[in-house]
Amino acid sequence: MHRKYTRNILWIVPMVILLLMTACTPRSDSSEQRADGKVEIDFWTFWGSETRRPIIEKIISDFNASQDRIIVKHTYLPFGDIWTKNLAAVAAGNPADVIINDYANVNLRASKNQNTNLTPYLQKDNIEANFYPELWKNVLYNNEAYALPFNTDTRMLYYNKTAFKEAGLDPNHPPQTWAELEEYAQKLDKKSGDTYQQVGFYPLWGDFGIDSWLINGDNGQGYFDDNNQTTINTPGKVDTLKWLLSWQDRLGRQTVDAMKAEFGNGQSDAFISGKVAMYIQTGTYNTQLEEFGKDLDFGVAPIPERESGSGHWSSGGGFVVEIPRGAKHPAEAWEFMKYLTGVEAQKYWAIKNFDNVANMEAAQDPEANQNPVYKASVENLESTKLFPIPLSAPDYKNLINPHMDAVLLGKETPEQALAAAQQDIQNLMAQNTK
Amino acid sequence: MGRVQPYISPQIHHKKRLSPRQIIIFIILALGSVLFLLPLWWMIATSLKSMQEIAQYPPTFIPQEFHLDNYIRTWAAAPFTQYTLNTLLLSFFAVTGNVIVNAFVAYGFARIRFRGKKIWFSILLATMMIPGFVTLIPQYVMFSKLHLVGTYYPLIIPQFLGSAFYIFMLRQFYLSIPRELSEAAKIDGASHFYTWLRVIIPLSKPALATIAILSFNGAWNDFLGPLLYVNDESLYTLQIGLQSFRGSVQTQWNYLMAGSVLVLLPVIVLFFIFQRYFIEGMNLTAGTKG
Amino acid sequence: MKATIGHKRPKLSKLARQEERQGYMFILPWLIGLFGITLFPMLFSLYASFTNYDVTSRMDFIGIDNYRRMFSDDPLFWTSLGNTLYYVVWMVPLTTIGSVLLALLLNEKILGMRFFRTIYYLPAVLSGVGVYFLWMQLLSPTSGLINTLLSWVGISGPAWLSDPVWTKPAIILMKMWAVGGGMLLYLASLQGVPSQLYEAAKLDGASVFRRFWHITLPMISPVIFFDVVTSFIGGFQVFQEGYVMTESGNGGPMNSLLFYNLHMWHKAFTVFDMGYAMGMAWVLFVIVLVLTLINMKLSRRWVYYEGDDQ
Repeated sequence: MHRKYTRNILWIVPMVILLLMTACTPRSDSSEQRADGKVEIDFWTFWGSETRRPIIEKIISDFNASQDRIIVKHTYLPFGDIWTKNLAAVAAGNPADVIINDYANVNLRASKNQNTNLTPYLQKDNIEANFYPELWKNVLYNNEAYALPFNTDTRMLYYNKTAFKEAGLDPNHPPQTWAELEEYAQKLDKKSGDTYQQVGFYPLWGDFGIDSWLINGDNGQGYFDDNNQTTINTPGKVDTLKWLLSWQDRLGRQTVDAMKAEFGNGQSDAFISGKVAMYIQTGTYNTQLEEFGKDLDFGVAPIPERESGSGHWSSGGGFVVEIPRGAKHPAEAWEFMKYLTGVEAQKYWAIKNFDNVANMEAAQDPEANQNPVYKASVENLESTKLFPIPLSAPDYKNLINPHMDAVLLGKETPEQALAAAQQDIQNLMAQNTK
Repeated sequence: MGRVQPYISPQIHHKKRLSPRQIIIFIILALGSVLFLLPLWWMIATSLKSMQEIAQYPPTFIPQEFHLDNYIRTWAAAPFTQYTLNTLLLSFFAVTGNVIVNAFVAYGFARIRFRGKKIWFSILLATMMIPGFVTLIPQYVMFSKLHLVGTYYPLIIPQFLGSAFYIFMLRQFYLSIPRELSEAAKIDGASHFYTWLRVIIPLSKPALATIAILSFNGAWNDFLGPLLYVNDESLYTLQIGLQSFRGSVQTQWNYLMAGSVLVLLPVIVLFFIFQRYFIEGMNLTAGTKG
Repeated sequence: MKATIGHKRPKLSKLARQEERQGYMFILPWLIGLFGITLFPMLFSLYASFTNYDVTSRMDFIGIDNYRRMFSDDPLFWTSLGNTLYYVVWMVPLTTIGSVLLALLLNEKILGMRFFRTIYYLPAVLSGVGVYFLWMQLLSPTSGLINTLLSWVGISGPAWLSDPVWTKPAIILMKMWAVGGGMLLYLASLQGVPSQLYEAAKLDGASVFRRFWHITLPMISPVIFFDVVTSFIGGFQVFQEGYVMTESGNGGPMNSLLFYNLHMWHKAFTVFDMGYAMGMAWVLFVIVLVLTLINMKLSRRWVYYEGDDQ
């Protein structure tokens, strides 16, 4: 019996060594010369899904075929984690040559030497005018660009035309102001006993959070002004929060929580399943509607404004392309970035995804604009706001969010919450600028 | 174990007659096991439902229609076969490395007197108390300087250099093995190595089986390690594949649960392979003293 | 060993020298790991905690400023520490007691024991993100399993993960499901308890409870000690629960799931305040170290080593 143990161990040792040798394929080093003399560059994205991956890989192979100097190698990494890896790779000096990153903190990364200043390349090829100015604003750090905008998004009001007709509303006249929104919503509510069959509207379902409403209700003003002064505790934001609370009071917090927890994607989506008659979502929500809501008769409209003339402000996001600091082939990376943000690639991306692209010419391409929802989303970009994070308070959201939660839970009044949030943020900024 | 006299426990004696106490315990365990199994059942049931059925109220315990195609779609969403093989390979090293090395090191801490042992052991415990994040970047930079980023080596090598948690665990186990057992071997002139291999190892099979499962699990579920150190998609592991799958299905619970079931399945299989070691059990000292 | 204190180090006997060599030979693999891969990053992070290190652009010595900020300027530091303490204070005793009780029940010789052991252990082997997703489903307010079960006994369950009062109990409940892990350790150790000890006690007329208290508990005390120490260490490092089970890892409603490590993660990887995060790690280290030392001091009173060399 004992001999068996010895034998097992003796058998495992060579086995382990053998496997170790076969397991570890040697490192592929992109800085080495390829046999055909081309330069291989690494491109990291988080587009690995069945829908996105083929689109980006088609763009890459088109680029590879369009010239004979550069070969782009695509590596997919999961969303979010891709940037953890990027940080480690920049720290170790072996990053990718091109990476897709978040629009909001280009400036933060620039201030930390994580991405490459594009000014020298822009002096040769000035392509700034190709992009929406609102997006270009976000790639600047000390007035110099550290990334190129790739895509963006915007939020709109989707409304169920059939439900409108049933409630006696004009399906071609969506609500324009908050007052109209409330009026319509009440008409659209369908209740049997205590449970709702259909809720007309609830502002915080869908993809338009408190942050976005505070922009919408405060004349397009975010939490910070252009000089990085806090604009958190403003009368417009107080009123907006009160208004949001009134919606919760109307439905009841429990109903709101319970219904929200039941909403899913696809057929169980709040709007597609008919549980909600008006719903705020991004332009690409249209692809879900096409897949799961074929029978749905719906329309899209800008987000209602607080009062006539205050502006149909919406919020946006998006991603940028940048060269991590320390990349081996920045010049080749730039060539590829130009292609990625150029008209041809951006048009392809827009048509395939109905995603809003950063290149204005591509965005207005007539072929993609045949789709009415896409067309509406392009038009909506004009009233869409994006804000870079302030460098002295990069994690401001962690301080604001709990106060917003407290308002909805009835633990703080809107006035208290905004005053406290403003105070917390100012403390953080004071610390960081010391 | 030739000298061991068969020891007959009284419980085995009375096996045929069920005492009231045993009946009560049986009932408690039976009820409890239903509660413990329900979440798993829920996971499997959800993985077989359609999205409409998941949204139904009240929820159904047995799917009205069995959507096995959820699994097919899940498996087809990424090269999961390749990922499974990669993960199996890494898990193999994790298990062999951890079981052999930690069993060895723990013996030193439990059974041999040497100067500095207490200090080393304190350091060992201390290394467990530092959250892994802070060492993430420096460790990555280190492996990068060694030109090992892009290979599995940064994931495999540490498995053969001992883990504080398992060493601590095994040390506690060894300490509860009566000293007479190894003393006997020592008097016969056996070296520590012999005592370890022939006396201690056979007696700590349950603990070693536990470590095998835990370290398999650790490697199987490791996400951040492979993500950081592997650059080539052909070397990706299941957890990376699953993460990307989650990104594309979002809250379609049926697919999410199908993915989870698929990933958990090998763990369950392994568990059934190893279970006899801790489930049969043994009486450590019963025989030798008799 | 005691004898050597205070004296000039006496020359070790040949046997003792041999013993010493063998001791180091046994712990050699771990020593290689310690000096090869563990120690440098640890010491690096200790130094970096006194700098404004941000990984990529700077590393200037700033004294104890990170620590000062933590204690006086960062409200989320205290929130996250409070959340973590809440979790540890409930989770450690509940899982320890739960797994000892379960192990005792599963150490009986009754019908279907293999089956029961398998079932109770299974949840513990199921780890990873998939489990968190499962529990998010189970904890769903209306269509989840937990509230469905509660409604059968006439209780209308809370909103769990969306109610800041119930988020942490929900996580602890989830941990309780996995008590099988601790159970297994205890079971393995219970099987090492010599049964003639019980026989002797039985002949003396000792009750079940007395037998448990005077035989079982001392015999499994090394494992309890291990379990408590590692649960403390693991409990303080709770992270994934807050990261995966809240919207984009933001710490849940009113930051009620913003655990210490989650806050640290945000500082390190979202805003790149790595020096600060490393400072937080060392504060946590000190907290856990102190608790472990207290634990060890106390352990002399209740942990019994059958095979100790002292």
